[in-house]
Parts: sequence; structure tokens; C-alpha cells
Amino acid sequence: MKVEQLNSLKALYSFSALLICLAIGYLVHYIVGGLPPALYGLVVLTLSLKHRLIRADFLEQTIQWIFRHMGVCFVPAGVGIIEHYELVARYGVTMVLITFVTTMILLTLVGLWVNISEKRPAP
Amino acid sequence: MSYLLFAFIGVLLTITTYQVVAKLQAKLCAIWLNPMLFTILMAILVLTLFGIDYQTYYQSTISLNYLLEPAIVALGYPLYQHLDAIKKQWKVIAVSLTVGAIVAISISFLLTISLTDNYAISVSLALKSITTPIALAVTEQLDGNQAITAFAIIIAGLTGAIMGIKWLSLFKIDSIRAQGLAIGAASHALGTATMSQISYEHTAYSSIALIYSAIITAIIAPGIIELLAYLSI
Repeated sequence: MKVEQLNSLKALYSFSALLICLAIGYLVHYIVGGLPPALYGLVVLTLSLKHRLIRADFLEQTIQWIFRHMGVCFVPAGVGIIEHYELVARYGVTMVLITFVTTMILLTLVGLWVNISEKRPAP
Repeated sequence: MSYLLFAFIGVLLTITTYQVVAKLQAKLCAIWLNPMLFTILMAILVLTLFGIDYQTYYQSTISLNYLLEPAIVALGYPLYQHLDAIKKQWKVIAVSLTVGAIVAISISFLLTISLTDNYAISVSLALKSITTPIALAVTEQLDGNQAITAFAIIIAGLTGAIMGIKWLSLFKIDSIRAQGLAIGAASHALGTATMSQISYEHTAYSSIALIYSAIITAIIAPGIIELLAYLSI
């Protein structure tokens, strides 16, 4: 088989695997509720790979491609900010500042905690 | 037919803008030139200039929205690769993320209520660090404002995605584990998507933080917020 054919088969395999995991995620979400379907799907993929139900070596290239481009999928939701024009006009600056500052605090806190616990010698 | 054409134009313009900015960013080595942020700003500018409403744009780019879910599922791949390492460090991960969530929820709520004196906004901003569907559900449960939660979630995501690594480096937080966990905890899937361009190890830790923070916040946020609201009256 030619390399291109093999690669497109791998891509087809990968997208099918992702969609099946997502479908199971939807099923779990429907039954249990709680986390959003995509996050259940993420866990299903991790477990399927671990138990060799899905072949990791087939996924590699497609996953790399997805990660290189997935940022663009967040754009439509981000543009949604304009729907809240009135709210933004009224409280915008305060909200952005508080969000910005507290996000930085959370980043620093978790980062420092993990960093320090890592450098401490194991008992 | 016109609908198809229209959907095609929306997606095409969005993807093209994103690609051009991404190429430009790589060429100029400019971290601030974030393709996601610039494409969002460009789209807002175009929609405002031509008087197109958001629902129209949203409908035309709905295919991108559909792709978001499989892309999030894909984050399970790096998580699988680092699963054994993560299992060994489970305690540090759980404790740091739980403490982080408690502190972030409390500070956000108290800061907002003292500055705006508005309970609904304070609830919304307290829940902004986690993934949108869960944050919206908890917002509703606590009588927050869902529109503000959605808005703040995007700002929190962009903050960590654009400045996260640089900021952490300022504090000499240079371990991959610490960086990944911090950005997953503070900037949910949006920050995690940015991690996926840096390394699989960053992505693995960011993904676990994204999931853990969402669960722990859904569990503890109602208690913390009710207590703080009671105390601050």
C-alpha cells in the first residue's frame, strides 16, 4: 500500500475512534449527567488507549494535526462576547480586571504549589 | 443554496484569518500575536462594521463549533501517554487543584461583591475558571448571571492561553507539570488547547487539571459561595 493511502486510512481510523468516544461520552452524559459529553469522551479515549482497544500508533499524526489547528474552533464562541454589549458597557472594565487578576492568582498559586512540592526531596 | 454559500464564506474567512495570523506569529516570533484572539477581534470588527448580528455569524460557523467536541476528546491522547506518571503524583495534583479552586472562588467572589455590590455578577465571576457547560449549570443553581459567566470564561481562557507560560516563568515556575496543571486549572479547555502546541506532557497535565477542577468546583462552589454571601451581608 502507498504511504498516502496508509495515512488516509490512519486518519479515517482516528476520526472514527474520536467520534465513537464522543458518542459514548454523550451516552454517559445522558445517563449520569454531570460532566459535559466531550470531557467524558476524553476519559473514554484515554481508557480505550490504555486497554489497547484503540491503537495509539495509528492516532499520532491525526492528533498532531488536530492540536495544530484546534484553536480556530474556539473563535465562534469567543466572538459571542458581542452579544453581551450592554453588560460589557456597564461592568466590562471591572469584570475584565477581576477576571484577569484572579486568573493570574490561580495560575501562580497552583504553579508555585506544584513547583515547590516537586523540588522538595521525597521523604 | 444561498445558506450553503453563506456558511462556506463564514468558515472560510474565519479559517483564513486564523491561518494568516498563525503564520505571521511564527514568522515574527511574537507571542502576543495570538491567532485565536486576533481572529476573534477581527470577526467582531467585521460584524460591527457591516451590521451583521452574532446569531448570523454563529449559524454560518456552526461547523467549527461541532469540531470543538472531537478536538477536546483528542486531548485524551497525551493524557494516556502520561497516565502512569500522573497516577504516581495524584496527591500533589489533587491537593494543589483543590486549594487553588477554594482560594480562586473565594477571592473572586469577595473582590467582585465588594467592587460591584452585585450578587449575580459575583457568582458568575467566581465560576469563570472551569469549562463552560459545568460553569453555566452551577451559575444557574446559585442564581448567577449566565451571560456574564460565559463572558468571564472566555476572558479567563484567553488570559492563561496568551500570558500563562510567560507569567509562570517570571516566578521561576518552570516545571512542565506545574505549568500544565496551573493553566488547565485557570484557563480550562482554551488554555489546554494552547498547551497542545507546546508539548504532549504540558497537555496531559493541563487536561487532568481541566477535568479535576471542573468536578471539584461543581462540588465545593455552592457551599463556599453560600457561606461567603451569608458572611458578607
